[in-house]
Amino acid sequence: MSIGSSLRIALRALSRNKLQTALTTIGMTIGVATVLTMIALGTGAETAIEQQVRAAGMNLIVITAGNYKPKTEDDGGGVVDHQARIDTGASPAPYGDAGAKLASPGDLAVRAPRRRHPDVVLAAFHPEDDPMEKHDHPTSRQRLGDSEAGLGAAATLTPADAAAIRGVKGVQFVSEGIHENVHAVAGDKRWFTRMHGGDVELPNIRRSWTFTAGRFFTAREQARLAPVVVLGAFAAEKLFGDRNPVGQQVLLFKQPFEVVGVVSSGSWMVTPSAGDDQFDAIYVPFTTIHQLLNLSKLTDITVTAASTGEVSRVSKDVTELLRQRHGIGAKMADDFTVNTQARQSLARGGLRPEVARAVVGNVGGLEKVTLEQLGRTLDRATKTMTALLGSIAAVSLVVGGIGIMNIMLLSVTERTREIGIRRAVGARAGDVLLQFLAEAIALSVIGGIAGIVLGAAASGMIAQMLRWSTSISPASVALSFAVAAIVGVFFGYYPARQASRLDPIDSLRYE
Amino acid sequence: MPLLRVRDLVKTYQVGDVAVRALRGVTLDVEPGEFVAVIGPSGSGKSTFMHILGCLDRPTSGQYWLEGRDVSQLNDDELSAIRNRQIGFVFQGFNLLSRTSAVENVELPLLYVAGKVPAAERRKRALAALDAVGLADRAEHHPNQLSGGQQQRVAIARALLNNPSILFADEPTGNLDSRTSVEVMDIFQRLKDDRGITIVLITHEQQVAEYGSRIIAFKDGQVLSDAANDRQRLAMGELAMLPAG
Repeated sequence: MSIGSSLRIALRALSRNKLQTALTTIGMTIGVATVLTMIALGTGAETAIEQQVRAAGMNLIVITAGNYKPKTEDDGGGVVDHQARIDTGASPAPYGDAGAKLASPGDLAVRAPRRRHPDVVLAAFHPEDDPMEKHDHPTSRQRLGDSEAGLGAAATLTPADAAAIRGVKGVQFVSEGIHENVHAVAGDKRWFTRMHGGDVELPNIRRSWTFTAGRFFTAREQARLAPVVVLGAFAAEKLFGDRNPVGQQVLLFKQPFEVVGVVSSGSWMVTPSAGDDQFDAIYVPFTTIHQLLNLSKLTDITVTAASTGEVSRVSKDVTELLRQRHGIGAKMADDFTVNTQARQSLARGGLRPEVARAVVGNVGGLEKVTLEQLGRTLDRATKTMTALLGSIAAVSLVVGGIGIMNIMLLSVTERTREIGIRRAVGARAGDVLLQFLAEAIALSVIGGIAGIVLGAAASGMIAQMLRWSTSISPASVALSFAVAAIVGVFFGYYPARQASRLDPIDSLRYE
Repeated sequence: MPLLRVRDLVKTYQVGDVAVRALRGVTLDVEPGEFVAVIGPSGSGKSTFMHILGCLDRPTSGQYWLEGRDVSQLNDDELSAIRNRQIGFVFQGFNLLSRTSAVENVELPLLYVAGKVPAAERRKRALAALDAVGLADRAEHHPNQLSGGQQQRVAIARALLNNPSILFADEPTGNLDSRTSVEVMDIFQRLKDDRGITIVLITHEQQVAEYGSRIIAFKDGQVLSDAANDRQRLAMGELAMLPAG
């Protein structure tokens, strides 16, 4: 007898006793539902941890041109600076003898002569005044005559640096950055905002972005230096009000740009607001800005590490790469600054800056430690939940399986005569075994399917009510199904074998 | 070559400490196309004899050849195949699957045929078999919706589905009234005459045994007498005489 007809017979037998079938399968249903929910919670928690870590920017590394540091943050005093340790070895501070001097703004004047273009009239640098003027020092400090502008103002990063960083092991995304203030004009509306030149990979780095309209610019547009612009949600509202800006024109530096998208915050924690530099901003391919403003350098380069645990290693590798590329000797300070989220958050967390620096400088792989701790805490919570659900699942699967076994044993006794009849008309022992096994499997699979539905609903409810993230993959559904079938085989085999071993004569005579 | 060839058949049951000797050395042949009535009181071993001949049971000792094949050498699966292809059974209690329709009961042997028979083909053949016993209009009825005679005819249709060479009937009329009993006997006699099917009928009633062409009497597990029946009753003629049921 074929498996197909065995199954058909089994399903018909079960459909005759619907209530009994339903009651028998409840144990299985609960078991499988728990298995599915368990997996859904487990994988959901995993992705949640990953996403949170990423969204928090824990894997972010920002390389800024120049190495200006206010003296107040860096007066040494025996604290060994991380950068200094790498860069200068013996020297306690990046600026050699500077560390020994008193910290006062006056000291900064010492560095002023190191500007590359000290004689240029500052106003002439402003791109809005004369876009065609060749200049490579567009930083605002210099333009505005900031007295702190020194080494820090140097434009030292190039697109070639960024390309080289893309080759560093463990680097995930890289975006070139160049930033300007701009008067964006749309029709009769004007809005003074920030213009960010970026790479197409920028949305991958800013993980909390969502596009409320249109899209980010493409690699092709970037390569063609296309005059396209993505508006931050706040800037878009200021320029276009409620209208959809996509396809409209915006004038930047009196040049027409086509709006291809509007980006807004995907996180409830961040709302677009004036001057937030993210959504009160506009985004243009950095290549286009280079062309437009006749520039060739970058203000900064934003990098994400593929693994959050590798942030320290990657930032160190990037530092070394750039030092080498910029031809910086062993005893000289960097002409750029590498910053990571962890380092910044330490300083932001109310820690005295020098202490924060000391911590970052002296604790190797700090990011890794904090991330691992965060991960471990979440992991432990998930593991506890999984273990709990796992034991519930195991218990209900065993109970469900025993229920099936019990009902099948009963069924074999009840249907002894049927077995005899089937044997008399030519059913082999194997056919009888297959028939009862199919029935047990059908029972558990019906329970399993109900369990999958119940489990999916439960996962959905947990996600809704507890705000836990859950995820049900086809693999986990397949696994739950397989578990149900295996329980059916395991607990159905014994009754089925009993049935197949019945003597034809005895079972025919059975009353 | 005889269809059934039995030599010194012995069957001993162990019931508790007591060994019950159901058959104590039975030797006989049955030729193709015979209508053999086996008669004997209960406990005479006739049912055990039929079970062994029907490959439902195995002898303790002795040989049994079915169509020249030594059945005592076959394993359980081979015996199942023989029951499926060469043998049909009709029982006193009809032995139909109670929650299954008539046509599905008749289909049953085809489920266990080696090599798959398509569902449509199974149904077609089952309906034809039901038609042959005059129950085409009862195909979808369940056994509890059928009279005893109708149930027995469904059982006969099932027994004949795989065109067996031999039909074993164990007290087929035991649960039937006299008219339907004669009807069943009529079917048997026509099967023998029209299709040449060998029939072995087990009964404890002399009148029923007299429908056979040969009567074998059993007593205490042995053959008491074995003779051709020269006063064979003909069911067809009797049916004509009986008032319509």
